[in-house]
Amino acid sequence: MTPDKINRLGIVAVALFTLLAPWILPVFVDEFWVDIYSEMLIWSLLAASVNLLFGYVGLLSFGQALFFGMGMYGVAIGIAKIGLGFWPAFGFGILLSTTMALITGFLAVRLTWHYFAIITVVFSLIFYFTALSWKPLTGGDDGLSFTMPPIFSFGEETAISLTDPTVQYYFIVLMVGACYALMGVVLKSPLGRAFRTVKENDMRAALIGLNVYMIRLTAFVIAGFVAGVAGALFAFFGRYASATYMFYHVSGEAVVWAIIGGAGTLLGPVVGTTLLITLREELSDVWEHYLIVVGVIVIVVVIFAPKGLGGLWMGMVNRIFDKSANGNQPKEGGE
Amino acid sequence: MSPTQILEIEDIEKHFGGLAALDGVNAHVESGKLTAIIGANGAGKTTLFNVITGILPPSAGRVKFLGQDITNKPVHEISKLGLARTLQIKSVFNGMTVRENLWIAAQSRDGVFKPFQRASASSRANQVADQLCEELGLTQFANQEAANLSYGDIALLEIGIALATEPKLLLLDEPICGMGPAETEQTVEKIRNLAKRIDIVIIEHDIEVVFEVSDEVIVMAQGKVLARGTPAEISTNAEVRTAYLGDDDDA
Repeated sequence: MTPDKINRLGIVAVALFTLLAPWILPVFVDEFWVDIYSEMLIWSLLAASVNLLFGYVGLLSFGQALFFGMGMYGVAIGIAKIGLGFWPAFGFGILLSTTMALITGFLAVRLTWHYFAIITVVFSLIFYFTALSWKPLTGGDDGLSFTMPPIFSFGEETAISLTDPTVQYYFIVLMVGACYALMGVVLKSPLGRAFRTVKENDMRAALIGLNVYMIRLTAFVIAGFVAGVAGALFAFFGRYASATYMFYHVSGEAVVWAIIGGAGTLLGPVVGTTLLITLREELSDVWEHYLIVVGVIVIVVVIFAPKGLGGLWMGMVNRIFDKSANGNQPKEGGE
Repeated sequence: MSPTQILEIEDIEKHFGGLAALDGVNAHVESGKLTAIIGANGAGKTTLFNVITGILPPSAGRVKFLGQDITNKPVHEISKLGLARTLQIKSVFNGMTVRENLWIAAQSRDGVFKPFQRASASSRANQVADQLCEELGLTQFANQEAANLSYGDIALLEIGIALATEPKLLLLDEPICGMGPAETEQTVEKIRNLAKRIDIVIIEHDIEVVFEVSDEVIVMAQGKVLARGTPAEISTNAEVRTAYLGDDDDA
């Protein structure tokens, strides 16, 4: 057993659970948790988008909800206003968010640290208010709902559509899984290592000939793409789009999920998101000030496990392994 | 331009507000010689390195590397032309392993915008990284995070990172600063060996080391070149003695 193998086993376990959740969850809890779980998976992508920037390139964005919103409105406007089918609307949403990331990133990644954080908030606020006030297109306060077009249709009678809960669940799992697989591949590539050099020491990165600006921009666009997929999926999930989900507190929540889950680990965001959304679902009914609990958890994690739960896990696995072996093994924690 | 001049610095000025950190520097580095830059604190040595490597834009003047004007070029492009440097405050990728540090520097020559290729499949970069680990005596730490290394090993790693980019000219900013006697001796030996295959410019405060390793010495004072010559010429130069070396007379 190497730490690497243990982590791979962990990933297989999460994947198996996810694939079998429609059968496993109803045994223990109410059936609507299957729905909540698929929603968590979608939100985890938003956290993953934050994580890609913060955990790997060292840019803390408080504006990822902007790209989530673009994906969401792309789908809703595509279907309700333009009359697109399922796949074109999906593509339109992702294209919109990725393009938005390219344009805003062009300006934003010139800055770092708090300046970067502030400009991402500013961008997301600009488009939040635009979405809110552009009623004919976005529905403003009321949001924009649509009727679900089929994914595939064969002739007049048969069609596969997300209106079937099983189809919807597995469609979401497939798309979310594809995004994580994509990020996994990129992070293990030369580009992924270049991301980490920029986070670690951008001056040194430039001095060895890496174009820090282009690397940051690329990461920003990939993060925008991932958040866009999440937003598009969320529009399909709820059959509507609303500016509420573009507000910066949504971005902030994603930052918290990413940090709790473990910035700099691929699946940390899934852990953080499921944990905190479960808390919200369970506690918000019982106690309206449940956010105090969330706050305490954040403080405890940040102080005692600065690398989040994912980092805690990696540390544990490495330590257990170090004890059982000679302790001179590669650490794969960062990738 | 003479073909032996690998680096030419022409009338470089750098002003920070009203302060002229560099006040018309003219100098050149000859290929095949180890050049040392000495001078008191604030003479402008590191500022000059920063201008050469593109970290700071000069207020006036030109820098030519291998006959090509590199003034105002971005840092990463200058690196790609074959100019590497270490920093006065040791600068490596702390959270990455020693091997990854060397690997990414080597890979920078082949390009990193390869999102769908596995990093571990880059055979050339792998080879360079392993070879440098061996050469620097860091193989036993290859899979440790750079942050865990001793100070001397971090300095070595930083030189290794610079070498992994296969530079034609290497600028070393106080490479032995903060080292003990044993580490100093080791590093000086390494620098002397390196100078056989690449051109090196070194900023150093330790005059003994400078006179020991260098073929050519440039003395800077108050943002200007005060004198230039072989170590022997410099040690007997009256102007230099009063301006700089004189401080060491009582030592």
